[in-house]
Amino acid sequence: MITVSGLTKQYGSRTAVKELTFDVAAGRITGFVGPNGAGKSTTLRMMVGLTRPDDGEVRYAGVRYTDLRHPACVVGAVLDPRSMHPGRTARNHLRAMAAVSEIPASRVEHVLADVGLETVMDQRAGGFSLGMRQRLALAGALLGDPQVLLLDEPSNGLDPDGIRWLRNHLTAFAARGGTVFVSSHLIGELSMFADDLVVVGAGTLLVADSVEAITARHSAAVVMETTQTTELLRALAEHDLAAEHSDDRITVRGATKAQMAQLALDHDIRLDGLHEQTPSLEDALLEMTAAAAEFTTA
Amino acid sequence: MTTIADALPTTIGTASTTRTTSQDLRAVPAALRSEWIKLTTLRTNKVMLALTGAITALIAWALATSTKDPTLVAAELFIYPLPLVAMLAAVTGILMFTAEVQHGTLPVTLITRPARWVTVTAKTIMAGAVGLTFGAVAMVVGFGGAALGGVELGIGSGLVTRALWALLYISLATIIGLGVGMIVRHGAGAISGLLLWSFVLENLFAPALPDGVVHFLPFSAGYRLLDAGPNFEAPVQITNELSRPLYAAIFGGYAVICLLIGTFLLYRRDGD
Repeated sequence: MITVSGLTKQYGSRTAVKELTFDVAAGRITGFVGPNGAGKSTTLRMMVGLTRPDDGEVRYAGVRYTDLRHPACVVGAVLDPRSMHPGRTARNHLRAMAAVSEIPASRVEHVLADVGLETVMDQRAGGFSLGMRQRLALAGALLGDPQVLLLDEPSNGLDPDGIRWLRNHLTAFAARGGTVFVSSHLIGELSMFADDLVVVGAGTLLVADSVEAITARHSAAVVMETTQTTELLRALAEHDLAAEHSDDRITVRGATKAQMAQLALDHDIRLDGLHEQTPSLEDALLEMTAAAAEFTTA
Repeated sequence: MTTIADALPTTIGTASTTRTTSQDLRAVPAALRSEWIKLTTLRTNKVMLALTGAITALIAWALATSTKDPTLVAAELFIYPLPLVAMLAAVTGILMFTAEVQHGTLPVTLITRPARWVTVTAKTIMAGAVGLTFGAVAMVVGFGGAALGGVELGIGSGLVTRALWALLYISLATIIGLGVGMIVRHGAGAISGLLLWSFVLENLFAPALPDGVVHFLPFSAGYRLLDAGPNFEAPVQITNELSRPLYAAIFGGYAVICLLIGTFLLYRRDGD
């Protein structure tokens, strides 16, 4: 449904996005993840024609965004939930959006009811909480009954109930054949409902694959504790097994617990501890993006 | 009931869903409707209009009650407050763009309507309409205020012509405000810059400049569209004045230049 080809954007000497290429399939939820400064927001802005790429293009079923006759009826985008005049009511905010897109005004009340804001539609947006603004922004994206939803950090400011509501909404949208492309740094939450992931770091694509494939790629590890670390490391080396060593702990990937137990037995090594570590998607992604993170904690 | 699916093509990639220039042109009325909704659904704009009317009526009334010139009539006095009205309308023009930048609604508009010139066209037409509205309201209440102040009405053949030139002045001032807002993108900066230029810089430096240059200063030219009889003096004097249509062309030229620069920057800059 969405084809991103060689998307590149440079600001002065800094490359925000470099030759980004990936596809987003219809009927699925694709998460767009990466550390702060990875180029997610810049990419989303290029996908809706707000920012002009230095190279590359984005097409929706073969058509560039800026060539769409009624963009709002194809792509619904939420890039900033604060994008509304505080002095205007929710209803009038959407009326203005509907008017410029030539969407019937009757859609306004329909989408406001859809997002649960029908009782406050005549209240000024300035009095809305961040969660209400998120819902209003989503209502704006849904005005044209689009086939694609592009969302930048949509769960920011939502309480747990709101996050669940959003998750259910997006899942139902994808189930009806819609395309969802949602950027988030809440990897754990994304992993609960995303089908595919596009992972970026420092402006470049790190991986674009299904959630299952990415998780499987980062195999389980076996962790052993022993005072005979030198002997165990020698035994592992003899079997061409790479290991990470820290104090009395040795971690081996690509092997099973049973294999390690047998190895220790064969070399007369006493193990004080032996267990498997199954990485979460969050662990996998953090490992992938660690080198590309612009801001990290100590 | 017709749904979106019925009203619009839903299959992407067909000729009917690809934008053309003529379709952009046909989208201008829709963009105008959107700008109308934006303007009329904000309390601020209504307050500005009401304030303009109140101030105009007050100024005209005060001038009428304090004048010692018996020949001064309401049909001339109603022009006197209009330079201030033009500035208030220009400020509204500035805010038509800078408020959208400040509150983040400009990207929403540009995402929905990627052809940015459609948005500029709609805003320009609406700015002109705002100027006409401000001007019409101000002139009516100004005339009424002057009449209440006790001067003769003085309705004559020149009244309509005088009012039309004044409406043109205020409309062009509003459009200049819009253009300045598009260039500067910051409300306070644009407003203070415009006021500083029109009230201070031009008046300060113009007396030292030759007439050939002063003709082409924007507000010195624009001011000369206002005709309020022999007692109404422009802040900057010109010995050999040009014709009113020429001054209209000069003032209008500034509106066009501001809009062109603003539009160029709108296309050049990222839409946020």
